[in-house]
Amino acid sequence: MREKILEILTEVRPDIDFENETELVSGNILESFDIVQIVAELDDEFDIEISPKDLTAENFNSLDALEELIERLSGEG
Amino acid sequence: MQSFKSKNIKNVLDLLEDAAGKYTVKTAYSDQERSISFEEVLLKARAVGTYLIKHNTGEGPVAVMLKRSVDTIVVFLGVVYSGHAYAPVGLDIPDERREKILKRLQPSFIINEAMLPGIFNERIDRTLLDEKRKDILMTDPLYVIFTSGSGGDPKGVITSHLSLLNYIEGYTGVMGIDSGDVMAAQSPLDYIAAIRDIYVPLFTGVEDVLVPKEFFMQPDVLFDLLNERRVSCVGWSTSAISILTKLKAFKDKKPEFLRKICFSGSVMNGAVLRQWQEELPDAVFVNQYGPTETTASCTYYKIDHPVEEDEIIPIGIPYPDYRVFLISEDDAPVKQGEEGEIAVAGAGVTLGYINDPERTAAAFTCNPLEKAFYERIYRTGDIGVFREDGLLMFHGRKDRQIKHMGHRVELDEIESAAAASGIERSAALYDADRENLWLFYEGEIDTRTLALSLREKLPGFMVPRKIKNMDALPLLPNGKTDFNTLKSMIH
Repeated sequence: MREKILEILTEVRPDIDFENETELVSGNILESFDIVQIVAELDDEFDIEISPKDLTAENFNSLDALEELIERLSGEG
Repeated sequence: MQSFKSKNIKNVLDLLEDAAGKYTVKTAYSDQERSISFEEVLLKARAVGTYLIKHNTGEGPVAVMLKRSVDTIVVFLGVVYSGHAYAPVGLDIPDERREKILKRLQPSFIINEAMLPGIFNERIDRTLLDEKRKDILMTDPLYVIFTSGSGGDPKGVITSHLSLLNYIEGYTGVMGIDSGDVMAAQSPLDYIAAIRDIYVPLFTGVEDVLVPKEFFMQPDVLFDLLNERRVSCVGWSTSAISILTKLKAFKDKKPEFLRKICFSGSVMNGAVLRQWQEELPDAVFVNQYGPTETTASCTYYKIDHPVEEDEIIPIGIPYPDYRVFLISEDDAPVKQGEEGEIAVAGAGVTLGYINDPERTAAAFTCNPLEKAFYERIYRTGDIGVFREDGLLMFHGRKDRQIKHMGHRVELDEIESAAAASGIERSAALYDADRENLWLFYEGEIDTRTLALSLREKLPGFMVPRKIKNMDALPLLPNGKTDFNTLKSMIH
């Protein structure tokens, strides 16, 4: 799962070191239209629905946080 | 509302002093850290003005390189007290671009974060301020705001007090903003849309809440803030509204107090607007159109019916004291129903591009339809058509300029940045449906290296998120890039 998430993130923003970055949202590293694209692709890839309540800096600030979010949402479905 | 003209307000300092007298301790601006009252804005701006009169002996605009906060707005107004125009220069742009901007601007002084405590501590000297003040004309430069220019060279649009006062008064009138409203600002302060966030409070006494950029990708967090601060009025970019919609913002929450919504910057999608109308049935929606060169805007359209999903929304009618008309390719009048270039005359036409006589002369011209006198106009390069009911419709561009995320982007500026990265042949395209910038290129450099190099040259929103390496770009028989074939590849 982690590999696939990383692939999606890197496709959108090849310039970011997602393995080490921990302030993707609160540090204004990702733009809002990056998030739109990432959310759409994660929804498709993992057959989940990321809701507005999931769209928080805590869930999107790092690869680890994002992986946890997707595991949680996949479990719910 | 009484007009600024009848109140003898000739510049934004008169406006600020009028507001400070009327609204005193009411909050004018707030950010996540603090808020500042109208009176405090006045006092701090006067301190900034005094400091600058003492320390800046040069001619020309003052570059303001500060993060987005209430202090930055105070500094802008303080620069005006010192008798100079202010020029916001973003901190989040690549060094190369900032250097180009500063080279073009030739600032007399640069203000950065480290200087702020000293500047704000200056003792106000009313004699010095009054001395400067008496020389300011309402037609003098107020600010310089940079916008994308072709060939990779940003253009600094200079705007006068008069143009600004005229536009803000028109905008507050159309939106029906009064002192009971609360605004929420989305725009970066170095971008033209911020002039509403800065000056509408001074006109009307509303509080303006500066919303952090990252809240616009966290819809629940954003709507919580809007509800907590009882925000009733926003002027946001079309793309910010469209992104919130794509993120299904209304799923859990609603901005309960929001009643006045203006969107601008690019074409609004009917389906997006329809959803907002359904979610906020009591809100007024206004579509606004116009470039930085006509003081942010020149026309507006108050949406007076539930729009259809495929409806093309008019850009409408001119704001007061703007004349908006069409010119044909051979500089002749255009009949109703036919396409022409949108041209603008009146108080909103700005003073041109700073230190750039050539590009100024090309866009700010004498009206070719007015033979009797020299009427100065701005030619937008946008194509428009007047509908039978008199409303203006937007029909795209004459050139390769596009609007992305509310910002103007010259596609050849991206290709120039690719060329500066060692790519000889490239072609930039815009997929307006998905709001994606594409770059196709030939060459040995891999896409990641190219993306990194583009990031050193262009602001983030201009860096294509879709970059494709090709053995050879498709060509037309005349040797030019075949954009239609490339377009078909992205759909």
